[in-house]
Amino acid sequence: MSNQRQASSASQVPHLSPAELSYLYTSLSLPKSSIRPDGRSPTQFRPLTAETNILPGTNGSARVGFADGTQAIVGVKAEVEKTVLSNETVDARSEFGISEDRGEQEGSAAVGGHGSWVQMSIEIPGFRDDDALPVFLSEMMRESLVGAVGSAEASDMTGGLKGRLVINKRWHWRLYIDVLLLSQPLSYPLPLLSLTTHLALLSTKLPKLKSQGEEDPFFDDDWAVAEYLYPRVSLSSAKHSARSPFVRPPVTLLVISVGENIIFDPNREEIAVADAVLAISITRDSEAGNLKLLSIRTVDPPSRLTQPGIPNSENVNMLGAVASTEDVAVLNPATGEEEVPGVWRPRRGGVKRSVIAEMVKTVLKKGGVGEEVLEGLEGVEVS
Amino acid sequence: MMADRRRINGPPGGTRPAVFASNSQSGTGATTRAQRQRQPSELRKIFLKTGLIPTASGSSYLEFEPSASLAAARANPKSLIPPSSALKLACTVHGPKPLPRSAAFSPNLVLTTHVKYAPFAARRRKGHIRDSSERDLGVHLETALRGAIIAERWPKSGLDITITILEAEDDRWWGDAPDSHDASWGMMNVLAGCITAASAAIADAHIDCLDLVAGGVAALVSDESAGSSAAPKLMLDTDPAEHRSILSACVVGYMPARDEITELWLKGDSSKASLEDGDKRTGHEALIDGAVDAARGAHTVLAEAVRESLLSAVGQL
Repeated sequence: MSNQRQASSASQVPHLSPAELSYLYTSLSLPKSSIRPDGRSPTQFRPLTAETNILPGTNGSARVGFADGTQAIVGVKAEVEKTVLSNETVDARSEFGISEDRGEQEGSAAVGGHGSWVQMSIEIPGFRDDDALPVFLSEMMRESLVGAVGSAEASDMTGGLKGRLVINKRWHWRLYIDVLLLSQPLSYPLPLLSLTTHLALLSTKLPKLKSQGEEDPFFDDDWAVAEYLYPRVSLSSAKHSARSPFVRPPVTLLVISVGENIIFDPNREEIAVADAVLAISITRDSEAGNLKLLSIRTVDPPSRLTQPGIPNSENVNMLGAVASTEDVAVLNPATGEEEVPGVWRPRRGGVKRSVIAEMVKTVLKKGGVGEEVLEGLEGVEVS
Repeated sequence: MMADRRRINGPPGGTRPAVFASNSQSGTGATTRAQRQRQPSELRKIFLKTGLIPTASGSSYLEFEPSASLAAARANPKSLIPPSSALKLACTVHGPKPLPRSAAFSPNLVLTTHVKYAPFAARRRKGHIRDSSERDLGVHLETALRGAIIAERWPKSGLDITITILEAEDDRWWGDAPDSHDASWGMMNVLAGCITAASAAIADAHIDCLDLVAGGVAALVSDESAGSSAAPKLMLDTDPAEHRSILSACVVGYMPARDEITELWLKGDSSKASLEDGDKRTGHEALIDGAVDAARGAHTVLAEAVRESLLSAVGQL
């Protein structure tokens, strides 16, 4: 347990020997043509099964399962909540800046929405909910979710998700996103959890509002007319279709660099030899239609915690058995460290700026991985 | 004669003192928003000193220069409310020390980081139990430092890094109500300070590192006062209290000797950055470069502080 918590930021360190790690690293870092253990191309994702609306008690839900048996369920629940307003001088306050120790919930929050209205909790077996990994993952996913601000002209989704949660000046929706990882985290669970959350939010419906303006909210009890939290393209009326003001929930992609190669959706073994691990959140830009970067975070690569291999020249058991010329340290261009080929060394140091730029470019470019993922998710039947 | 002994309770919801709009309008010092007096690429001064806590194997104390408006308000107070705040934090390093018997074998130094706001650090009181943002900061700090420490030189050992934030940065100007751009921008400045202070404390504890990691922040800022159509500009070492809206910000942990980033945290919309003509970089690249420049600035202070502590240690011998 304590070991798990120490390695929490990068999931568990897999129990691979230095020789295995070195073999993996060499095959993944082959110039221009990395060979992955499961035969995927560098940008290919693991095959997955997905279904939505599986939990009848929620506003929206989804289940995604990878072929290796890891599964996640996400349930989205919405509650109506009173927006805390101290008195009627909302406008005066935002203009004159009156001292408020509880100012966070007031003022223009009534118009623009507030990030704390979206709550996210992640449950991972074997981890306490205050361990570093679940906290880090939920903060990462929540920050891109509430950070996605729509364009000003998009009617319903001004201010992105936060703006959508506003009912009127006195009432708002509070969204609870509960993520449940059903299996042990075999690999770093971020891609799985992010895809599942995306699907669950796509399928989330809020009851249709019957009251108008500043009345106390009153909803249509017919679930069939409920409106999607993220309006569907097909439902948006014809006059809107030219501009197609649709906002989509963000997706967080896990990208690693090994040598000079950039690899997406790493499995447990691949992430164990990564030089750098980045979590990149993207969404579709509602104005331009291309992809927009929401956030980047570095994730602590587990390769820093692995056990080093010992070259024969330093191994006491091999004393005299090998000529000292046999293993000569060469410079690894990707890390800038002296390494004996075929002998694993834990990674040190950080990541070059050029590598980060390259990673982001691969995600964002037209027809790149980001678009592919978003299109694939769009294709999942949301019933 | 029987006095009425019934207790008269206050209203259950709590009350707040009345503040009159005319009052806050006329008051000049307190309610005018703090303005950035520095150039876009000018950093705040940093005070950094190591070895202040004798019981720890390494320690440091870091302080950011208070902004011009804060300094003015302190010299000539017009209001009880300070216009902005300046980061102050203390970092202690305990170790390397043997891992407890119950812990599993580790071939490397096991790093644990704790970041804790003092209850009085921010305008709103923080509880004694670490909340999710503090844990999040701890993970970021761990990522930043683990890349720099040469961990295989201490197998089976642990290193505890504890940071207490005595005064935190604001997320926005205190008088502003949060708008759609509200996010915890102050946390990013705090993280940059944590990284710089922690590497000073690690150097003070004589733990081998590849380089001193310095933290730096850059942000894309749109100030509406400069005109409604003003495109967001890149600024280094932003104090969120001084800006009307921060569109996106980036914090890095950077090692100048290897030109490598150990920690990167970028958030917000960086696509609308207005750069100089001929600048081919995209918004996020410019942000990262800006944050690296800020980190380089912090690194000079860091190196100087470590050199100072070494010289004083040599002088004592």
